[in-house]
Amino acid sequence: MSATREDVGGTPLPPGWAQPAHQPDAFEISTTTFEQRATETMARPFARRAIANATDHAAALTTARFVGIDHDALRDKARQIRAHAIANLPDYLDQWIDAAEAHGTIVHYAADESEARRIVAQICRDEAVTRVVKSKSMASEEVSLNSALEAIGIDIYETDLGEFVVQAMGDRPGHVIAPILHRTKDEVHALFSTMAGRELPNEAEALTAFARDRLRHAFLTADAGISGGNFLIAETGEVLLVTNEGNGRLTTALPKIHIALVGIEKIVPRRRDLAVLLPLLTGHGTGQQITTYVTMVAGPRREQEPDGPERMHVVLLDAGRSALLGGEFEEALHCIRCGACQNVCPVYRQVGGHAYGWVYGGPIGAVLTPLFRGQVEGGELAHATTLCGACDDVCPVKIPLHDLLLGLRRRRDEEGCVPRSEQLAFALWGQVWSRPLLYRASTAVARGSLRVIARDGVLSAKAPLLRRWTAGRDLVVGRRRS
Amino acid sequence: MTDRASFLAAIRSTPRGSDPGLLDRSVAPDAPTQLRDGEHRADRLQAEAESVSTVVHRVVATEVGATVVGVLVAAGAQRIALTEDLAPFADAVREAATTAGLSVVGYAEAASKRAQAGALDATVTGCLAAVAATGSIVTAASGAGRAGALIAPNHVCVVRDDQIVDGLHELFDGDVLAEAGSIFALQSGPSRSADIEKVLILGVHGPGNAHVVIVAPD
Ligand code: SF4
Repeated sequence: MSATREDVGGTPLPPGWAQPAHQPDAFEISTTTFEQRATETMARPFARRAIANATDHAAALTTARFVGIDHDALRDKARQIRAHAIANLPDYLDQWIDAAEAHGTIVHYAADESEARRIVAQICRDEAVTRVVKSKSMASEEVSLNSALEAIGIDIYETDLGEFVVQAMGDRPGHVIAPILHRTKDEVHALFSTMAGRELPNEAEALTAFARDRLRHAFLTADAGISGGNFLIAETGEVLLVTNEGNGRLTTALPKIHIALVGIEKIVPRRRDLAVLLPLLTGHGTGQQITTYVTMVAGPRREQEPDGPERMHVVLLDAGRSALLGGEFEEALHCIRCGACQNVCPVYRQVGGHAYGWVYGGPIGAVLTPLFRGQVEGGELAHATTLCGACDDVCPVKIPLHDLLLGLRRRRDEEGCVPRSEQLAFALWGQVWSRPLLYRASTAVARGSLRVIARDGVLSAKAPLLRRWTAGRDLVVGRRRS
Repeated sequence: MTDRASFLAAIRSTPRGSDPGLLDRSVAPDAPTQLRDGEHRADRLQAEAESVSTVVHRVVATEVGATVVGVLVAAGAQRIALTEDLAPFADAVREAATTAGLSVVGYAEAASKRAQAGALDATVTGCLAAVAATGSIVTAASGAGRAGALIAPNHVCVVRDDQIVDGLHELFDGDVLAEAGSIFALQSGPSRSADIEKVLILGVHGPGNAHVVIVAPD
């Protein structure tokens, strides 16, 4: 097998092209504070500009996409679908498992992150897998899957263009659907030129062609494809994947084994519900009408079919999800990971995804991180927001992110995790980060400017949404730094 | 190892959140994927497909072979594969392609070795359905295979007028998908990425050149 690997088309990458994957629990969130991480991004003006441009662009496209239709009614329907699915999660999972097994899918159960790593590594050992192509999966980021596979000697190729860059740089994705939002073309150009061993043209087209060629070789030689899943369809036992590049489909088509790692909350009852959810996922995600490639997978290749894997494994991932059921934060499970709340969040737009320190950024990251990682590591994120409410207004499934964030703040205060001074500091940062001008003013260390900020803070704190944010007002008064 | 019973039991042991009920079947999802009253399906398919950079050709049945091969020759394709679902037009396409000096194989044969499939310049497929409101073509594992529509840099899909459905809910609700096999798949235009500074690039992993040939009813 490996003897013929090199001459199948596409160009192999040299060994060592990728940076080692991060280890489980080596997330920045364990070792640094939000302030430190945010400061890092803010110190790269280009990254900030790139993030703001890209998020503006996405938000404008989303708005344009839904002109002339009853967008709000559509979001209500989406919310109903998600709320119903989550309220009946065990029943729908049961139904999904029966249907999936009926068409030959092998289903595995991962109660937590380490079990997910063990299961996928074991599948790879059992199936004699030594090379893997991956299509983008946030669940695999959550469980640090790559490190577990590298540990048993598997070559991994992230095939989403952005994730490929992330892997080669040893970076982390900066946005849930646009992983290299924070990177510039020049950075990609320098990286790919080094990988190619020659100066490539500094144009997006040539850089993409380089990645296509190298990854084509990986697709044609990989033993297994690993994907996430955007939805699980209970009535049919299908896993749905969306990608614009086509790498998701190829991941399920070319290698002899397909493994999908999917969070249990991805369940939806019926195919017909996709007629509501897909246009919202795409419209809010990228502003497209529909993602270029939508693929519904129901098990391995069947007789008479020309291509496809011999076996399909699905690993259902709990890892903190079921603990949210029936509680104050259950609605966080309604999220369809469109990324829209990041795009409109004034804090995210200034500090970027890495500041959130774990896998998810923006308002949904500030909610999920403390819920999944615990208060000690993630709790401070509940303060990394201005509570402006823009995320509530944009969320396609109407998750009350603002209320969830307030709830998390309250919980953190009740648990006594947070010194008052930290709250105060966050409140000021929230104000400052959300406004580039104020940020600049603050770095100019102009005492007068800071007073302006303070006044601004007080004024905006009178807005109804911010009234509950009393810490903000205290801060403004109490922190006239002199 | 967690098994099915203990995995589900852990989830069942949690309190139940409030349930707004299943979305009523009678509620038409007024997604942006509806046709306007009286709108012509093939026209809408063409408009939507073109809006995502698909090149659309409107032909009558007897023109399919020449149209498809015209596209392939213009793209400089040499090695082409035809998928099973092209059936009613396969002979015409094969004949025209052979006449034009192209090398033609069945996709199942090409796909039996990944390297062979990876070396194709173009694939020509039929489809299971096409979705007017989103400009999508729908392929099935049992017809075009999983990778038939996106393994090569050029893809031509032949759509019969009677295969076009209005929108997504008609597609998902109908029985058109019953025969799909292990996957069904929508594709709407060429493969794309805007990962590098939001510059739209076509042809990342799938085709950069996608054509739809809509065949008018007799
Ligand atoms: S919380 Fe809402 S807006 Fe944010 S990613 Fe999830 S679905 Fe999208």
